[in-house]
Amino acid sequence: MAIQVLMPKIGLTMKEGKIVEWKKKEGEWVQKGEVLFVFETEKVTFEVEAPESGILAKIIVKADVTVPIGAVVAFLVQKEGEKVEIPMEKSELIHEKKEERPLESRTLKPNKIRATPLARKMAKEHGLGLENILDLSMRGRIRSKDVEAALHKKPPESLPVQRVEAGKLVKFTGMRKIIAQKMLASKIETAQTYMANNIEATRILEARERLIPIIERKVGIRLTINDILMKITASAISLHPIINTRWTPDGILWFDAIHMGMAMALEEGLIVPVIWDIGKKSLSEIAKMRAELVEKGRKGILTPDDIKGSTFTLSSLGMYSLEEFTAIINQPESAILAVGTILDKPVVINKEVVIRPMMKVTLSYDHRVIDGAKAAQFMKTLKELIEDPISSLP
Amino acid sequence: MNGKRVIVIGGGVGGYPAALCASRLGANVTLIEREKIGGVCLNKGCIPTKVLLHSASILREIKRASLFGLNTEKIEIDLHRLLDRKKTIVDRLTGGVTSLLKNKNVKVLKGTASFTDSKSVRIAETGEVLTGDKFILATGSIPATLSIGGSENISLLTSDDLLNMDFFPTSLLIIGGGYIGVELGQFYSRMGVKVSILEMLDRIIPTEDEEISRALEGFLSKEGITIFTQAKIEKITKDGKDKRVIFLTPEGAKEIRTSEVAQTVGRRPHYSGMNVDKIGLKREMGRITVNDRMETNIPHIYAVGDVTGGIMLAHVAMAEGECAARNALGYPSSVSSLAIPRCIFTSPEVASVGLTEKEAIREKGEVQVSCFPFHAVGKASLIEETEGMIKIVAGKKYGEILGFHIIGPHATELISEAVLAIEMEVTVDELAHIIHPHPTLSEGLGEAAMVLSGGALHLP
Repeated sequence: MAIQVLMPKIGLTMKEGKIVEWKKKEGEWVQKGEVLFVFETEKVTFEVEAPESGILAKIIVKADVTVPIGAVVAFLVQKEGEKVEIPMEKSELIHEKKEERPLESRTLKPNKIRATPLARKMAKEHGLGLENILDLSMRGRIRSKDVEAALHKKPPESLPVQRVEAGKLVKFTGMRKIIAQKMLASKIETAQTYMANNIEATRILEARERLIPIIERKVGIRLTINDILMKITASAISLHPIINTRWTPDGILWFDAIHMGMAMALEEGLIVPVIWDIGKKSLSEIAKMRAELVEKGRKGILTPDDIKGSTFTLSSLGMYSLEEFTAIINQPESAILAVGTILDKPVVINKEVVIRPMMKVTLSYDHRVIDGAKAAQFMKTLKELIEDPISSLP
Repeated sequence: MNGKRVIVIGGGVGGYPAALCASRLGANVTLIEREKIGGVCLNKGCIPTKVLLHSASILREIKRASLFGLNTEKIEIDLHRLLDRKKTIVDRLTGGVTSLLKNKNVKVLKGTASFTDSKSVRIAETGEVLTGDKFILATGSIPATLSIGGSENISLLTSDDLLNMDFFPTSLLIIGGGYIGVELGQFYSRMGVKVSILEMLDRIIPTEDEEISRALEGFLSKEGITIFTQAKIEKITKDGKDKRVIFLTPEGAKEIRTSEVAQTVGRRPHYSGMNVDKIGLKREMGRITVNDRMETNIPHIYAVGDVTGGIMLAHVAMAEGECAARNALGYPSSVSSLAIPRCIFTSPEVASVGLTEKEAIREKGEVQVSCFPFHAVGKASLIEETEGMIKIVAGKKYGEILGFHIIGPHATELISEAVLAIEMEVTVDELAHIIHPHPTLSEGLGEAAMVLSGGALHLP
């Protein structure tokens, strides 16, 4: 007897699918479970396996054709030479339920997923969201069998499965979820764009050498290039306050103080502790606070107050010998500075090629708030201050 | 009209819904019926037995009228009037179906069809040959019979005969304690006939939940029906005008002398004389093999109802008939076997849906069970029908309703709520919280659910 192959329903809202490719030709033998065709719905493609072994006797719906769910797309036969009985005209195979209310149109109000009481109880018990369960019975309502299938990741026979590559699934930590949400939101909700500059680091390296013993004596902390960069960046921001703003629905919020976030990598993920009112702090205070926050981060004892309220963030991957990178804006801030490592490079000074320690800094900024020229002005100031740190003193 | 020629063979409760549905879907439909439209259900099954049983239950009400403060005169049973009424009802209903078929332009031919090849049938009586694109076989079933030693020259009655007797015998022995046996047994018993029922298995209505079938056995025995279970017929002999039935029981051989012996040992699929061998139609254990779409091994031939074996109930045949018509005309459909109600029209009535307690334990492991007695339902008291119970078999973890069993007044009407509950995967918690009208018997259903969901209101 000929076996009908149907356009399956994947997910509650699917109404039709487009055949992308037939993996088998008419007349070819196909083993149960082998991929028969690929279809596309809402820009996602799925592979459909043969419901039974047999010969692909007749392809009804060719590639690139879109049909509603439940439409017969092909026939399989189990014996060679077996005749395929095609019930009627091709168009009539496509499920035109004229006198019946079609299953789909009477199913869903937006956001209301229909499920039987048992299915709801089972899903709740297993912490499974109804939106993650496929209505495999195609009856417009999730039933207990559908929940079982979702739990066992083993849909009933003859229904197609999305192929999952071998591997280990590690459940999200809360931190990973938050990072994911924030990063995605930043990419979606802001008009991020980028600007980079090469900056000579000779003088800040010199400054650091001279300041290390002084600050170590004063607060017992070894000064880092990042401490100096944070201080200088704060000075540059104070000259270009547009960098230190926030987009709000009612207008642009200009902050009085600069609260500098410092991006920090922990084993579990990214965290951004904050040095409050950095503009009013001395370099030794900054070094001390930075050291405290890093220590707290390592021990996992950062408090919510330590990691919120930043108005601008500096992210450095210099320790990984990375020349340059771009960072995602740490929303709701308007900009973030990505600092690469310091490398000796040939540069042209007074028409001569000389070797200088160079660093590349990249600004990501929200173009809704900051125009390119404003960003460029900030970057110019930043370069001047880094190349001549003394000028930041006044 | 899509012009597909659909030929439906058999005009019973499988065939006529198939014909109506196919016609509604635009096919050109011919229905061939050998006897009367309506088949066994309307002519010699569901409907006529219920007509008789209704008279029996009115008789019971009149006999106990004094309970309700009503005194009655002597009652007389007018069997001929009763049989007339049965005929009137049957005619009215078959007439209704005939006019439905006419309205839907289904061509009805009287005669016996047999296949000449897989695309055409010949009507024996007229010699007419019809060709079709699709065939739906709904040829039903006939009463099964046992071969019993010594019975060759003795006429044993069938359920068909029991519906058409124009006299009441002094005594009647019924072989087979299934639903047909107990229904007809109770009718004859209430009409004053001394009735015995012999069942081969260890209890009557053996497909029902054990607790329910034991309860029915108790009720029938109390009414005066003698019931033997685990009884194996050995021999039937003539004894003057009477018959002598010898059978084995665990307590040894027994003998009953009775005026009439009837067999109600089930029904078997009927398709003889149809040339199904010639066209290569696949069968298994005497029934035509179909899948859940009612497709046989021959792509354009479908079969529905009793001829496919399985659950031989009218409402199943109806669902299958519609399903076959849909599939035949390209509207994919399948029959859900999940929630099929079963009804026995004795009094008290028996109705059930889903799994028995034993089946549920076998299938699910642990289950929870509640029994709510009708004596705790106010309406049952006021109609003096306090015996019987409502039993729910539910899943241990989620309380999903797996089986629903009722023995008591109007059980066959009450069961519909349970069918909906099982079909929609309702749990005892939802059923316990919906409002049942007061004072009605249906309150018992809610209370039975409450037993498993925080406790019943009207139980100590």
